[in-house]
Amino acid sequence: MNKQALIIYREWITRVRRRAFIIGTLMVPVLLGLGVGLGVWLENAEMEENNVLVVDLSGMITFWDDTRLAYLPICPECFPEREQLEYRFADVALSDDEFLLSDFTSMVLLDDAILQHGQAKNLYEKSPSITAQNAIERDLAAAIERFKVKEELALDYEVYKRLKTKVSLVGEDIITKDGNATGRSIIGFVFSLFMFMQIMVYGMHVMRGVIEEKANRIVEVIISVVRPMELLAGKIIGIGLVGVTQVIALTVLGFLVFQVGGQALEVSGVLTSASNEAVELDFETWMASNDLLGFVLEVNWPLMVVCALAYFAAGFFMYAALFAAIGSAVEQESDAQYLMLPAMLPLFAAYITAVMAIQNPEGQVAVIGSFVPLTAPVLMLIRLPLGVAWWELVLSLLGVLATAYGFVLVSARIFRTGILMHGKKITVRELFRWVRHD
Amino acid sequence: MPTVPALDISGIEKRFGEQRALAGVGFQVPQSGIFGLLGPNGAGKTTLLRMLNGITAPDAGSISFFGEPLTRAHLPSIGYLPEERGLYKSMRVGEQALYFAQLRGLDKKEARERLRYWFDRLEVDGWWHKEVSEVSKGMAQKIQFILSVLHEPRLLILDEPLSGFDPINAQRIREAILELKAKGDTTILLSTHDMGSVEEMCDEVALLNRGQLVLNGKVPELREAARDGRYAVTFRDTVMAFTVALGASAELIEVNPNPEVPGEHLAMLRLPSESDIATWVRWISEQVELTSCTPWRPGMRDIFIRAVEHQKQPVA
Repeated sequence: MNKQALIIYREWITRVRRRAFIIGTLMVPVLLGLGVGLGVWLENAEMEENNVLVVDLSGMITFWDDTRLAYLPICPECFPEREQLEYRFADVALSDDEFLLSDFTSMVLLDDAILQHGQAKNLYEKSPSITAQNAIERDLAAAIERFKVKEELALDYEVYKRLKTKVSLVGEDIITKDGNATGRSIIGFVFSLFMFMQIMVYGMHVMRGVIEEKANRIVEVIISVVRPMELLAGKIIGIGLVGVTQVIALTVLGFLVFQVGGQALEVSGVLTSASNEAVELDFETWMASNDLLGFVLEVNWPLMVVCALAYFAAGFFMYAALFAAIGSAVEQESDAQYLMLPAMLPLFAAYITAVMAIQNPEGQVAVIGSFVPLTAPVLMLIRLPLGVAWWELVLSLLGVLATAYGFVLVSARIFRTGILMHGKKITVRELFRWVRHD
Repeated sequence: MPTVPALDISGIEKRFGEQRALAGVGFQVPQSGIFGLLGPNGAGKTTLLRMLNGITAPDAGSISFFGEPLTRAHLPSIGYLPEERGLYKSMRVGEQALYFAQLRGLDKKEARERLRYWFDRLEVDGWWHKEVSEVSKGMAQKIQFILSVLHEPRLLILDEPLSGFDPINAQRIREAILELKAKGDTTILLSTHDMGSVEEMCDEVALLNRGQLVLNGKVPELREAARDGRYAVTFRDTVMAFTVALGASAELIEVNPNPEVPGEHLAMLRLPSESDIATWVRWISEQVELTSCTPWRPGMRDIFIRAVEHQKQPVA
């Protein structure tokens, strides 16, 4: 292994094997997976056995079946069979004592008044879960709707269903032909936020690493073997690769969680068609048909991940070079604060712009910011899911790369002098002198 | 046939802004011995050592390494133990040792074998898998010493190698340095303020002060040259009798009871340069019981202080 590769490997391995890195990387998708799993579990676990007696005092939704000697729903499909929810019907309510002695968990009283105020009394000893209540409400509403359609409109329900119209706006970019801007801009913001955090966190790693080597004089031993520029580049590349490792790990884990979570949801049978709950769907179809989540499948994920990696690499090099220069100019981390502020301002400005751009990613500020090298890594990513012309992407990326290259050259000049300076507080003016002095 | 010096340093100049760190420094370091680089704080020693390590370059002057102009290509042949030294706290001792050994050009297998020898030699074995943050300061210093000698450099630069060690470990390191010298493959450049070590270990020294070379030569010759007519005399008599007998024949500088021989006194005196010491000894022995009379050679500490204090001229 050559010396440069050795330095890169050391910077990389000593960080990726840290417990904090492993836990931090695993936590995001694991928490996501746990959240999904918990939701699925709650969906099922919360629904305890519900044995509901629907007392139809109005006769709107039930009829007496002479053959089965029981009240049955006029619309059986309105009360679908569920594992945890069972209905029985009657036309007379039980007394309180009778109810308490019975095996019913709830008794719903339905009279004509429901047509006016839409309310039905639900008697219980122990309140049913929210999930159960929602299911009962949905079922009763469907049955009453059928009654209204038939009695008040004198329409066949199938005819009514055909007449019933729902309108939702489906946005589409006239050039890129892509739709659902809001959802996508949220994805873009998540990427921007992630980029901001990655550059910050790993940029700080570079600064701390330089300060450590300077403070304990390891640097004197190392630069007697490799050139300062090689050490600087090795450090930045090694730590950058830690960030890349994290992006790749999160991508793989995210994909796995998506797949495993989807499978779990499919198996649980909670993924049903929005129009007909009796129809179970596979995860992908359910996502595609979901108003809120459908856009997730519309995003060009490979492009997003590749661009995120490219912008991270270029953006990180740019800021890491700055942070390394700062680290080499100070004795300890607390001394770095006054130099850190101006270096981090563009990054914070980009983050604030990204927050504001969620509503309007194609706004003027976000668009301009996505071409300014210091803010482009954060702001281009918020625009990307909505579709960005290839030349814009190339131009922006080239700008970041060129700036990163310039910063590395300048930083190297500060670094090679700064790392050997001790016991002297360095001023900004002095830093400029180091840069000018060849 | 005269051998080429390990280092031939000539006319080295270095400025940091307005400050002149080295002003035309030049001397030679012979091969295979221990050469002491001495000087008070701020004399320019560290600047010179950094030049030898390729960390900084001189503004003027030249450095030859075994007859060739010193370049970065020679750096793998140099070992360096800086005065203020550290290790990566978050790395294990063994992997850190392997890392530095590989940086110095050793392959992993060879590095592992040599490390095994040195870890055993300096009793660091058993710490291989420990994190550096867990080891004591002395242990860490031993590891750093090992890292500087592991690649068997032709030139080993040690900046205060014994500072911070307890007497037992300091002796171990001292023995290791002398062992390297005895093997004859390594030239050792020792920068230290410990004049006892200089007298014990160094063959030659160069003394820098204010960026200039003020003294250079072999240790015994420097000590001999620094003689100032003082003699150490022991006698069995009263101090009064000795003082009366001495009269004006010599200047009595100091007299004390000899702690090692009861009833005996130890005196330091300076004879006028024209004195014939043999005649004077015979003459004084007739008056007091003289048991010994030996010329006194100043130690390196005295030579150091005298040289530094005599160089009052500020550097332009």
